[in-house]
Amino acid sequence: MSIAESVLDAVRAERALHGGARVTRAGLRIGELSGVETESLRFCLEVLVTDTDLAGAGFEIEAAPWTRRCRACGVEFRVIEARTQCSSCASGDTEAAGGDQLELSFLELEDL
Amino acid sequence: MRVPLQRKVLNENDRIAAGLRERWQRSGTFCLNLISSPGSGKTALLERTLAAFDPARRIAVLTGDIQTDNDARRLSRYGFPVRQITTGGACHLDAHMVESHLEGWDTDALEILFLENVGNLVCPTSYDLGEAARAVLLSVTEGEDKPLKYPATFHHADLLVLSKIDLLPYVPFAIELARENARRVQPEIEILELSCTSGAGLEAWLQWIEKRL
Repeated sequence: MSIAESVLDAVRAERALHGGARVTRAGLRIGELSGVETESLRFCLEVLVTDTDLAGAGFEIEAAPWTRRCRACGVEFRVIEARTQCSSCASGDTEAAGGDQLELSFLELEDL
Repeated sequence: MRVPLQRKVLNENDRIAAGLRERWQRSGTFCLNLISSPGSGKTALLERTLAAFDPARRIAVLTGDIQTDNDARRLSRYGFPVRQITTGGACHLDAHMVESHLEGWDTDALEILFLENVGNLVCPTSYDLGEAARAVLLSVTEGEDKPLKYPATFHHADLLVLSKIDLLPYVPFAIELARENARRVQPEIEILELSCTSGAGLEAWLQWIEKRL
C-alpha cells in the first residue's frame, strides 16, 4: 500500500511538471526483484485513486525481468528459476544487470 | 499527450537514504539493516550482540515493529541507546522513519547503528535505509527454500545469517541446501551460522561486524 501511495505521489509530481492536465493512463515498470507483486499493486492503486483527482486513470504495469550479465562472455541473460549461471556459456561468474526497477515509465495526459 | 518517463517511484525515500549514507560516511558509522520473517531471531541476535560489546562503545539501535515497544525494552537493558520505531501499520521501515527517529541523538561519534526492520521478507526489500550492509536472517525452523521463494530479499543482502542452529537435530532443515539456494539467488552473499541459545557462531558474527568498522 505504501508503494502504491508513492506511485501516486510520483504521478502527481510528474503531472504538475507537465502542466497539471488530467491523467488518463500511467505506465509502471516493476522488476521481478523489486519485491512488489504487480496484482496487489494494481489493486492498491485502484482503491487509492477512487474519488480523488486521479480517479479514472488506468495503470499499465510492465514486468521487467530479472537479468544478469556474464563476466566471462558478456551475454546478458534472463534468470529463470533463480539460475544465476550464464545461460550461454554456463559460467558462474555473473553480475546483477536488471530486475530492480520500480519506475514510472510514462504518463498519458489529457490536453488542457 | 504521452510523456515518456524514467522516474523512480521511491525517489523521495532514496533521496533521504542517500543523505543518511553520506552522514554515516562522514561520522564513520557502520549502519546495518537486519531483515527477516517475524520470529527468526533478530532481537535475540541483537541482545547477544549488545551484551558482547563494551558499554563504553558508541553503538545504537533503532528497532521497528508495527505495534508495541517490547523490543526496545528488551534491548535497552544493555546500556546502549535504543529507540523503537512503531510504524502503526506499515510492514517495513523507510528512510524517513529512520531519519526522524535519530533526532536529538548525537550521532557524530557513533561506531555502529543497527536497524532492526519490521519482521517481513517482502516489503523491507524495496526501501533503502542508507545502510552500509544488509543482513537477512533465516532460522532453521523455516524452509530452506526461502531464498527461492523470496529472491528479491536475498538478492539484495550482503550477509545471510542462518539462526537457531542448536535446533538442527530436531528439525528437517537441510542447511547445505539453504546455503546453495541463497548462493543461487545471490552468488556473492556471505553466510554465517549461529545460535543465540548455545552461543555457537557468535564470535564469527562479531568478527564480521568488527571487520566493517
